[in-house]
Amino acid sequence: MEAKKKKMVFGATVGIVGVIVIAAMLGGWFKTVKTETITIRGSTTVLPIAQRAAEAYMEEHPDVDIRVSGGGSSVGIQSVGEGIVDIGMASRDLKDEEKIRYPNLKPIVIAKDGIAIIVHPDNPVTSLTLEQIRGIYNGTYTNWKEVGGADEDIVVINRDSASGTREFFWEHVLEKDDFVATALEKNSNGAVKQTVSQTPNAIGYVGLGYLDNSVKAVKIKKDGKGIEPTVENVLNDEYPISRSLYMITNGEPKGLAKDFIDFVLSEEGQRIVEKEGFVPIG
Amino acid sequence: MTRNIHFLIKTFYLINKKIINKKTFREIIIKGTLFVSAIFAIVVIFFIVFFLFKEGHPIFENIGLWSFLSGKEWNPSGVPPRYGAFPLILGSLLVTSGAMTISVPLGVGTAIFISEIAPPKIKTIIKSGVEILSGIPSVVYGFFGLTVLTDWLRVTFNRPSGECWLAGSILLGIMALPTIISVSEDALSSVPMEYKEASLSLGATKWQTISRVSVPSAISGIAAAIILGTGRAIGETMAVMMVTGNAAIIPKPITNVFSPIRTITGTLGIEMGEVAYGSTHYHALFGLALVLFVIIFIVNTTANVIIGKIKEKHMPTSKKKKRKRLSQKIVQGVRYSIYALLGLTLIWLLVVWFSIEISILIILIILCYYIITKKISAKSSQRVAFGLVTLSTIIVLFTLGTILYYIIANGIGAMSWEFLSQPPRDSGRAGGIYPAIIGTFYLVSGAILIALPIGVGAAVYLTEYTREGLPTKIIRTGVENLNGTPSIVFGLFGFAFLVLYLEMGISLLAGQITLALMILPTIIITTEESLKSVPQPMREASLALGATKWQTVRKVVLPPAMPGIITGTILSIGRAAGETAPIMFTAVVFSQRFLPASPLEPVMALPYHLFVLTTSVPGAEQNAYGTALVLLILVTCLYIIAIMIRYHHKKMVKW
Repeated sequence: MEAKKKKMVFGATVGIVGVIVIAAMLGGWFKTVKTETITIRGSTTVLPIAQRAAEAYMEEHPDVDIRVSGGGSSVGIQSVGEGIVDIGMASRDLKDEEKIRYPNLKPIVIAKDGIAIIVHPDNPVTSLTLEQIRGIYNGTYTNWKEVGGADEDIVVINRDSASGTREFFWEHVLEKDDFVATALEKNSNGAVKQTVSQTPNAIGYVGLGYLDNSVKAVKIKKDGKGIEPTVENVLNDEYPISRSLYMITNGEPKGLAKDFIDFVLSEEGQRIVEKEGFVPIG
Repeated sequence: MTRNIHFLIKTFYLINKKIINKKTFREIIIKGTLFVSAIFAIVVIFFIVFFLFKEGHPIFENIGLWSFLSGKEWNPSGVPPRYGAFPLILGSLLVTSGAMTISVPLGVGTAIFISEIAPPKIKTIIKSGVEILSGIPSVVYGFFGLTVLTDWLRVTFNRPSGECWLAGSILLGIMALPTIISVSEDALSSVPMEYKEASLSLGATKWQTISRVSVPSAISGIAAAIILGTGRAIGETMAVMMVTGNAAIIPKPITNVFSPIRTITGTLGIEMGEVAYGSTHYHALFGLALVLFVIIFIVNTTANVIIGKIKEKHMPTSKKKKRKRLSQKIVQGVRYSIYALLGLTLIWLLVVWFSIEISILIILIILCYYIITKKISAKSSQRVAFGLVTLSTIIVLFTLGTILYYIIANGIGAMSWEFLSQPPRDSGRAGGIYPAIIGTFYLVSGAILIALPIGVGAAVYLTEYTREGLPTKIIRTGVENLNGTPSIVFGLFGFAFLVLYLEMGISLLAGQITLALMILPTIIITTEESLKSVPQPMREASLALGATKWQTVRKVVLPPAMPGIITGTILSIGRAAGETAPIMFTAVVFSQRFLPASPLEPVMALPYHLFVLTTSVPGAEQNAYGTALVLLILVTCLYIIAIMIRYHHKKMVKW
């Protein structure tokens, strides 16, 4: 009788706990709050801007839900093209195949960005020409002493192939050459920065907004001058590696999506762009 | 199977004629239900294989199977794109074998320590500690590897970068440890006391009992543990993506463990986001997943053959086929010459790969081992063996301690009531992670609710209601293979089938189903092993007393198997809670304001949140650690509940 009683008590406890848990779960499900929602997805470069802007927008509009995700420019373009999300984010132009596959996509420029070449803070190299950078990334130069640094092997850090940043870098800096096979691939700006800050002989590229004290930005040598990757130099077109950042809709933006994009393009939105380290559009 | 359908038809006929009574009818219903769950599990498994094949075969038609497999350059975004998978295949094999070299000795050693040597109180503590290790999400391992392990390797071995093959193997080895330890320990504990008592009473030392009686007796469970562990290692995506460097090259020379390397899973993880649905690159990636599947198939089949041979040697009642005298001699001769050939090849490989000095060293070590085990007294070799086994346990616990310390020390600063109850602000750098906590909870509970009944039902059916034959062997192979399927493949399947084709959209339900599919093989395999460990005489005794099949299963077979089933559930909870790849494309968003109002809405989840914070949001380190800590605590709480239930059941089992 003792054992049976114990079993019953145990079973009853489990049962009560289970009922409470299920009720809690179901309780969440029956909440009928009338809300408007949009989903935004894509480039990890644009993600901080979208996230901040969404937070600011939602503070002014408490009945609205804006859902933001990463994944890469290609994911964003595909998702908005397939209709899975309302807005796609991209840090590169649409590829030809994408324009054919999703003919109704409308990219809207919401900011400009520079791509900064970064090295470890202790690296003696302070500036490189575009040709040297290309040489490093296509495997022509493998030692820092060939470009004015110490006698050490260069550790090349690259991005993954979903990255708009990489795509842009490949087209405009590498001029469609092949990346050196021994380059290490990272899947976000943050990861590239992390690796370069830890590896004394590494070189990588990140969006302007990701620069901080843990890495050193290399000046681009052009016509004898070293041009720093700063917001001003991108605005006045001095810095040679700069690009547009897009929010893309399927067809003309309407409703909440249009409202939000207008917000990002407004003065308040552009202030957020600046605060995140990117370049506001004039 | 056709027998069953036949049987069902006959049954309905007999019921209508009121020839069968209610009791037998209930038996039939139960058998039918279990049959359905077995069928469901199998259908899903074959469906996913079919899906992989369907999406992957165009690449083989496009560039030919041989050039895909042997091509030495993988550059899909190059001009022209190149799809040579050889460096990736080699990468997966090298990293996994390195990982297994680390985790099998450590894992089995620790399992022996826990089940045979440790005093009971310490046993529970260590076992729980090991299971906590399995709850650490792969993203956290990846982060730990990225910031601590690679740096340590870089500095200690004076390399330009610590991201390499060795880092991947160490990390994967650690990740596979909990699986190997838990399942092996369960298997060793289920060895009937009579075997051990008989051995000890014949004068054997404890170590001789362990090595010659317990381990061979539990070899089936230990083999299952190793296969599960290998599956975990070979299918891991996130962690390996973060520490191996992802350079698609062949290490020069081949044994250079410090070379960056890329695995198949790393490729899938890092490139899947990029591909346009239906492009050549897309098919190439699925072709890769298919290749991985085949590799796992080969590994599993080989392992099973080897285990079968070991079992034959030790089981007195095995079904040895009758062989004729002369052909038996010929077969033996062939076998010995193959062994000799293998031995010579091994020595040649050793000399070629490593220098002469190292191969002489290795041969000396093997000789020492031989001398120790044969020449030294049993008591001394027991001390040596116990020492090694204790050492492996200490290594495992030390690793656990390091990782836990790392998470707790860095994450405790982020903990506050606000952190736990508020949604995130400032891209996750401030505010809290409340919606992610709830989201993870929903995802895991849903996944377990779906997978547990189906998995246990399928395993019960396979073990109790069918005879061991070709159909069950095929099913088991399918399950073991699915076990090794990378989590990202489940994510892709979920995305293409549930999100797009069934138009569920990015939703909680799609995530739950995907996770359920991912943990299903683990549950089936561990349940099967625990059911098999119930001695046959128990079943026979019950049936002889007049119990029906189902009564036997429910009251005699299942209760002692419960601890093993719960172990499987615990391992699955850990996996489901910590996986990023399956939910990345199917269920999650980085941020949303409200909790999901229905299962068809997306959720936030802790692993994904951690992943994005770690990789895309600079300045969020504090909250990243905090998220990892919360995830760990959440999983630990679930574990403690499950462990209490298991302890309760274990007390009721007495052989």
